[in-house]
Amino acid sequence: MTDVLPRVDAPAESPATKTSRPWFSFLPQYLAISPFYILFAVFGIYPIFFAAYLALQRWDGIGPMEWAGLENFTFLLTDGEFWDAIINTLVIWVMSTVPMIVLALLVALGLNSAIRFKGVYRLAYFTPNVTSIVAMAIVFGSVFSEEFGIVNALLTAIGLDPVGWLSDPWGIKVTISAMIIWRWVGYNAIIFLAGLQAISPEVIEAAKIDGANAWQTFTKVTLPLLRPVLLFSVLMSAIGGMQVFVEPQILVGVSGGVENAGRTMVLYFYERAFQQNDFGYGAAIAWGIVIVVLLFALINWRLVQRPQRDGAAR
Amino acid sequence: MTTINRRRFLAGTAAALGLAAAGCASPVTATPGRLTLWYWTGGLATTVLTDAAARFAAAGLEPVNVGFDNLRGRLLATLSGGAYIPDMTMLSDDIARYFGDADQFVDLNTLGAARFEGEYLPWKWKAGTTPDGRLMGFPIDTGPAALYYRADLFAKAGLPSEPDDVAAAVHTWEDFFAFGKELQKTQPGAVIATDSNEIFQYALAQGPKKYLDVDGRYIGDQDHVRRAWDLGVRVARLGLSGAFVNSTDRQAAWNSGVQPAFISPTYTSNDVKKAAPSTAGNWRVCRSPGGPSNAGGSFIAITRYCPDPQSAFDAVSWILSPANQARHYLDAGLFPSALDALTDPAVRVPDSFFGGQTVVDVFAESARGVPQTAFSYMDIGIRTYFQTEIKNVEQAGKDPDQAWNDAQTLIYRLLKQSGVER
Repeated sequence: MTDVLPRVDAPAESPATKTSRPWFSFLPQYLAISPFYILFAVFGIYPIFFAAYLALQRWDGIGPMEWAGLENFTFLLTDGEFWDAIINTLVIWVMSTVPMIVLALLVALGLNSAIRFKGVYRLAYFTPNVTSIVAMAIVFGSVFSEEFGIVNALLTAIGLDPVGWLSDPWGIKVTISAMIIWRWVGYNAIIFLAGLQAISPEVIEAAKIDGANAWQTFTKVTLPLLRPVLLFSVLMSAIGGMQVFVEPQILVGVSGGVENAGRTMVLYFYERAFQQNDFGYGAAIAWGIVIVVLLFALINWRLVQRPQRDGAAR
Repeated sequence: MTTINRRRFLAGTAAALGLAAAGCASPVTATPGRLTLWYWTGGLATTVLTDAAARFAAAGLEPVNVGFDNLRGRLLATLSGGAYIPDMTMLSDDIARYFGDADQFVDLNTLGAARFEGEYLPWKWKAGTTPDGRLMGFPIDTGPAALYYRADLFAKAGLPSEPDDVAAAVHTWEDFFAFGKELQKTQPGAVIATDSNEIFQYALAQGPKKYLDVDGRYIGDQDHVRRAWDLGVRVARLGLSGAFVNSTDRQAAWNSGVQPAFISPTYTSNDVKKAAPSTAGNWRVCRSPGGPSNAGGSFIAITRYCPDPQSAFDAVSWILSPANQARHYLDAGLFPSALDALTDPAVRVPDSFFGGQTVVDVFAESARGVPQTAFSYMDIGIRTYFQTEIKNVEQAGKDPDQAWNDAQTLIYRLLKQSGVER
C-alpha cells in the first residue's frame, strides 16, 4: 500500500518543523478525520465509561440512580447464574466452531476442485450468512420442534427415537450450535477458498513429485499453509461466539429454556438489564463479559504468536 | 453541479458540527406543539385513531406507531435522556414496572379521571393505579381467560360438550383433571393443557395475591403460589399437559386434535382461527376451571412533560370511551375494559368459528369476575424463576420440591439485591 503513495522524506522535515508548527495549524486535517472520532466517542467511548459508572449504581432505567459501590460486582462474583452463562457460552462456542471449521474446509476443498457452476455454489453457501437471524431462528424452531418438526420426523423414519431438541438441556445447545454452524459454514468456506487459491500450485506439484499421496499433501502441505486463515476463522468465530444472543432468545426464550441451557452471557445481561430492570447489575455483567472476552483474546493471541511460522504461509 | 473542493468540504463539516451542537438543545417532547401518542400495531384500532386525530386536530393529536418491541426501550431512553418524550404513550400489562417512577407520569385523577371510574372494570382501573393511589394508566383492553375446547371431540368421547355443561363438569381444577383423564380413555394422548406453566399462571391469576403484597413485601413463598405450582406440576404428572416447546407444536396439536382443550385469554381465538382453519365450527369456550382470571391488556399514560395534559386527557378518554371500546374490539380484536362495551349488541355477535356461540358473553363473564390484584414492579423478574423451574420439572424431570426451593433461593437473591423486604 505505502509504495503507491509518493514517498516523502520524513526525517528531513521532522524535528524543526514539527515544533515550530502549533497544533491548530493542522486543524483542517483534524477536522477532516473528525467524523469518525466524534461518532466513536459518542457511540463507543462514552457508553463504555458510562457502563463503568452505571455498574456502581442501582438504576431502574428511569428514576434517579442510587449509589451501590462495588455491591453489583461482589454479587456478580457469587452469582451462579452468571458462571453458568459463561460455561454455556463456551460450550456452545466449541460445539459450533469445531464442526463449522471442518465443514467449511470440506466445502472449500470441494469448491476449489474443478467443478461446474462454482459461482452458483459460492453464492448458495454464502446466502445463510446474509439471511435475517430472527427469521432463521423461527424456521429452525419449526424444523427442530419436537412433535411435528422435520428433524424428529426423519429420526423416527429411520427407526430412531425423537430427540427433545428444545426441551432437553443438551438438545437446546445442539440446536443453537446447528444454527450457528448453518449460518457460518458458507462464510468461512469462502475465506478458506481464498486461502486455498493463494497456495501456489507449484508447492502442491512439488509434493506430488516427491511421492506424497493426496492425504499427505493435504495434512503436510495444504493445512500448514492454511494456518493463518484457520486462525483468522477461529478468532472471528470466537468474537461471534462470545456474543451469541438472538438464536437462543428466539428458540428458547430470554431465560434460555430448560435448566437455562441456552442462556449465554449476553442473554443473561439482557435479561437482568431489560427484563428485570436492573441496569446497574446489567452493566456489571457487561464488564464481566469484557473480562471473559479479554481472557479469551489473550489465549487466542498466545496461540497466534506461537513461533512456528511456516515461511511461505503469508 | 458544484464540485466539492477542500474549502467547501470544511465549511460543510463545520456546519454539520454546528448543527450537532445545536442538537444538544433538543426538544423535551417528541413533536413540540403537537400531542404525540405512542402506540403499537394492533394496540389500538386505527379507525378510532384516525377519527381521534381529526376530532382533536386543534390540540394537535398525533398518533405515532413505534412498534411493540421498541416502545419500552424508547420510552426509557427518552425519559432518562429528558428529550423527545411522547406526550402520551401506551403501556402494556407490565405497567407496574413503572410504578417506582410514577412521578414521570401525570396522575390522571388530577385531570378528572375519577368521573369515568364507574364506567370501567374495577380491577382493571385498579391495575393502572399505583399503590399510593395515583392513576397512571387509563384502561385500554383486557385479556379475560376462558377454557377453549373442541365440542366435537368431547362429544365423541361421550362427555358433556355444551358450554354450560362443560363449565359445570370442570368447575374446579380437580374436576378438570378428572375430565381430562376421562377424555384420554377414548382419545389416548389427548392433552388439556399447553404446559405446566399455563396451569400455574392461570391458577395464580385466579386469586387476589401475587408475588408482593400491597406493602411491597415478598409473599411468593406462601400457600397461594405453592397451590398454583402444585397444580402445574400435577397436570404434567397426570400426562394431561402437551409440554409443547413452541407454537409450531402447539398449533399442530390444535389441528390434529391432540390438544382439544386449553385455557387462554380472549385474543388467542385469533391464533386458533389462523392456525387451525380446518377445525372451524368445532371450538367452544366456557368458564375456566377454578374461576375467572386475566392475562394481558394495556393502558395509556400521559407523561409529566406533556405541556397540555388536559387536552391530552380529553383525547385519551375519548379514544377509550365505552362507545369506542366496542370499535377497538370489532376492528382490532381488543377486548373491552368498559362495562357498557361488554354488553353492546354490536360486540355480542355469534362467532361461526365457535359454532355460532356468542363467545363475548363468556369472556365478559370472566372479565367481570377477575379478582383485584396487587401487581408490583418485581412481578416479571420473579415470575421468570417460577417459569424456568416448573419447566425444569416438566421437561427435564427435576424433583418438584427441589425446583421450588431453587426458585425461592434465586428469588431471595434477586430480592436482596433489589432491596425488597421479606
